[in-house]
Amino acid sequence: MKLQLKRLVSQIILFFSANLGYPGYPGLKTGFCYPFFYCQACPAATSACPLRSLEQSVDKGSFTWRLFLYPLLIIGFLGIVTGRAVCGWACPIGLLQRVTGRVARKVKKFPLARKLGTHKIEKYLRYTKYVILISLVFVTSYLIGFIFTDICPVGFLTGTIPVLILNPGKFVPNFFFSFALVIFILFIALIFLVERGWCRYFCPVGALLAPFNKISFLHISVDLKDCVHCNVCSYECPMGIDVPNMNRDPECILCGKCVSACPNELISFERR
Amino acid sequence: MKKFFALQVCALVLVSGSLGTMFAFTPVYDEVRSGIVLVLCLSCLKLEPKTIADFTFETANNAPHPEFVLENLSHGPVFLHYSGDACAGCDVMYPVIQELFSIEFGKQDMFHSLVSFENSTVAYIYVNIHHTTDVLRNAQRIYDKDYIFGIPMFTIVTLGYDNGKVKPKYTTLYGTLTTYGATTDEQRLVFLQQLVGESIEMYEQNEAGYPHH
Repeated sequence: MKLQLKRLVSQIILFFSANLGYPGYPGLKTGFCYPFFYCQACPAATSACPLRSLEQSVDKGSFTWRLFLYPLLIIGFLGIVTGRAVCGWACPIGLLQRVTGRVARKVKKFPLARKLGTHKIEKYLRYTKYVILISLVFVTSYLIGFIFTDICPVGFLTGTIPVLILNPGKFVPNFFFSFALVIFILFIALIFLVERGWCRYFCPVGALLAPFNKISFLHISVDLKDCVHCNVCSYECPMGIDVPNMNRDPECILCGKCVSACPNELISFERR
Repeated sequence: MKKFFALQVCALVLVSGSLGTMFAFTPVYDEVRSGIVLVLCLSCLKLEPKTIADFTFETANNAPHPEFVLENLSHGPVFLHYSGDACAGCDVMYPVIQELFSIEFGKQDMFHSLVSFENSTVAYIYVNIHHTTDVLRNAQRIYDKDYIFGIPMFTIVTLGYDNGKVKPKYTTLYGTLTTYGATTDEQRLVFLQQLVGESIEMYEQNEAGYPHH
């Protein structure tokens, strides 16, 4: 089976396994945290969003070490073994962006989009996700009680919208709804305009996983000796990484597109 | 290279060991399941349920009333306040309830008090689902008449007359009461005052026939 087909099968299987919680179908509600971004407010959610547990652990000046460490250890365990492969092979939002990425790839051909994509500020924009993680998940939760999940676009997509569809007329919007709707629209625009735009710039769970790429067992390796720098790999990379020059790049989601794309088969998955 | 591999192995052993220890020796799995996965934080959902604040005899799934509610019902109507950590809606309602019964307590406390309301007694029970017992937590399902299972949630249990018998009768409210037309703290307070007043009236009409009395 081709690598990208394997990845698609993995993403679909994990999407379904993340949604085994719908009452009666089969109603499996566990006490695990997802190692990726998915909302426990989804009527079919099997587990908890790691960010919700983190927010709760530092709610308004309190500190519950169990709820703080638990999602970090789950993410850490997978991070050490597979690095950020979770983003590329398991995350349902990654699967969504795989679909929207086709449009984003066409947009990338426009000169303006290309210019923006290669602008020097782009690499700094990638730090936004770390800022969001620290400020909106930890700092505001600790100091003022405002939490990221109140305005989370992924929560809106996987929680709010399914609940509204499954219970027509049973719910009305609350105070946060309009803010979350605006952010959700921006999120949709982003993933259609920039390939893997959410993963690149804003995903706080990606920010938690990213540092583990530096020490993960599984990583991508490029044989630079024979590389002719044709840059096909970099062009194919959905995360916009300069593949030949990357060394355990925190942005790499180990999707393997570069592995499949390299005409000389110089890029491979390494297990150590 | 060998040093790096040793570092990887050490990191993996440390993380997997810590995770295994947490599963084995702490209640974190149950905490996450009962406090996050099973209960909806309505403000995280960005929605409020559209329900009616009418009193009913039928509990959710026809479950029996919990013993602690029946015991407290001999003093007066029982007001159950379900709240949780990191819940914006709960934070909105917290001061309203404190003002309603003129009481003070910590958000993470387990609090139970017989409070005076318009010269009558109301048994007030505060339940933060993240810092409570299974008995109190499980009672939320019993009074979840609209099958929302979210926080914040408020239940008022009083007495009613049904087919020749006096029985516990209750209503449950959800969220920040927006769907009941209360959008400001003052309106929330007035709405709850009226509802608690109504429950006291029902209680006083029926208490003589209540077998626990």
